[in-house]
Amino acid sequence: MKLLRVVASYFKNCRDNFMIDLISKSKRTSEDKEYELHEIDEGLYVYNTVAFVGKNASGKTTAVELLDCCYSILGEFRVENKTYQYDHVTLDIIFYHEGMIYRYFTKLEADASLENKAVFTDQHIFQKKYYKSRSKSVYDERDFKEMEDLGSLPEDTSIVFFVLKKKQTRALYFDSEGKGASTYQLLFKALRNYKISTEVLADIIHIFDENICGLQMVDDNNYKLLYKAEQKIVSDTELVHLLSSGTTKGILLYTMAAASLQMGFDLIIDEIENHFHKTLVENLISFYKDKMVNRNKAALLFTTHYCEVLDLFNRRDNIWISKSKEKVYLENMYENFDIRTELLKSNQFYSNAFDTAVNYEELMNLKRKLME
Amino acid sequence: MKYLIMCEGPNELEIVKILLENDLLLFDKDELLNLIPYHARQIDKSPAVQLALNIYPGEVTVLRIGDGLTEKLRIPNKYKDKIIAVEKYCTKPELEMLLIIAENLLDEYNKVKSAKKPKVFAKEHIQCGHQKYDNSTRFYELYFGRNPLLLAASIKEYKRKHGSHKKEERYLADLLK
Repeated sequence: MKLLRVVASYFKNCRDNFMIDLISKSKRTSEDKEYELHEIDEGLYVYNTVAFVGKNASGKTTAVELLDCCYSILGEFRVENKTYQYDHVTLDIIFYHEGMIYRYFTKLEADASLENKAVFTDQHIFQKKYYKSRSKSVYDERDFKEMEDLGSLPEDTSIVFFVLKKKQTRALYFDSEGKGASTYQLLFKALRNYKISTEVLADIIHIFDENICGLQMVDDNNYKLLYKAEQKIVSDTELVHLLSSGTTKGILLYTMAAASLQMGFDLIIDEIENHFHKTLVENLISFYKDKMVNRNKAALLFTTHYCEVLDLFNRRDNIWISKSKEKVYLENMYENFDIRTELLKSNQFYSNAFDTAVNYEELMNLKRKLME
Repeated sequence: MKYLIMCEGPNELEIVKILLENDLLLFDKDELLNLIPYHARQIDKSPAVQLALNIYPGEVTVLRIGDGLTEKLRIPNKYKDKIIAVEKYCTKPELEMLLIIAENLLDEYNKVKSAKKPKVFAKEHIQCGHQKYDNSTRFYELYFGRNPLLLAASIKEYKRKHGSHKKEERYLADLLK
């Protein structure tokens, strides 16, 4: 299963028909096919890395939350425990699964109970077979046929269930907040669920702290930390202080990435550069672009303020610039900007080619006040 | 020091991957920058190569592999101290020479070489099972992937028969054990 496109309305403060399209649009070179794209069916290419950039409060997080919402539906057939309102949200999701293209419409409403979950109303699902000869018209509405008489489900369960049938992790969402002391519980749950070996965990920990040889779970709240010459049993809260919150977050994120790469599901990260050394960000991106590591067609979708990361993208159609003028909207670097491809994307960013520069006058207004 | 292998095309990359996986090269993957060979013509046009160079703090020797490699390699300023040498390994006029040699068709090809490129000749004469040569990476994978020793022998034979490289152009055979 691969998500291809989502169009949303009434989602947070987005403009209507807020769209994220994950099928490649610009010319595909042989280098792109090696390092930038996954061919999920003959002639059907999706990105292995996707970036959302923009000013503060421009809607980058909203974009990845929308993706997370779609993957929740496609993975668990539910939307629950999200931090936004569900009422009136409409979603038009197109995904690929086992040689077929599916188009799923739904409207979300908040569940009438006290639980934080959405119910699905006005649901429709359409399908068509994918043909290479029609790879350029995957979204063409005319040849979709509605799937009817699917059966009944509880209203908090999406009818996507009838297509995908089994709950499965389709993506993990890593927000910029971190999980604090519960990180390590989550970490060991991830190790178990995604069958990540302790050797891989040891290698990950070693990247962040060379003095530590390993970490073992004693019980839900206590862990054994293995140094070269000694061992320490510490609580989860002590562990976060001992290893620092940056290291804690990094270990979890790299473990999630290892799971994503091994299992082939996508990883969504809000603010990839948060707490990280530049090399670790670059290394993470390089994993997803390397077919020897990324053998199961996983994708890394992230937001960043760190424009130099964009220079590590060979293409422009997998970069979105988020903007906010009353409502949030996205512009695609390939489709919406006529820029000089020979120039570094980061330089163009800083020279305000995408209208994303921090307002100079606002900065000076503050400085003037501080100079008084 | 690490080697950065930059293959001109995806087919050269496949050849190098086969040699590497079968331990036929003078070095193993641990000696390669980021553990893999790359498909890239220029560093400044390849974010994948730049990512690899950014991650490694030490010195790098670039091994360029391709047909003719006439285009000069541009080394961006930020990597000028890091890249200590650039070496060219050629399979001119075209990579298909290896297939022609592997099929024992070199003498036949030499009769028509002034009028026909190796690629065209290979498309006319070479197949693997039922699949005709089609310039695809998949063909190289099928043809040499199951017979890496034939690949190594063809590379060595190419050097023996094709002694007309310029001084700075080395042979793929020079990278073999």
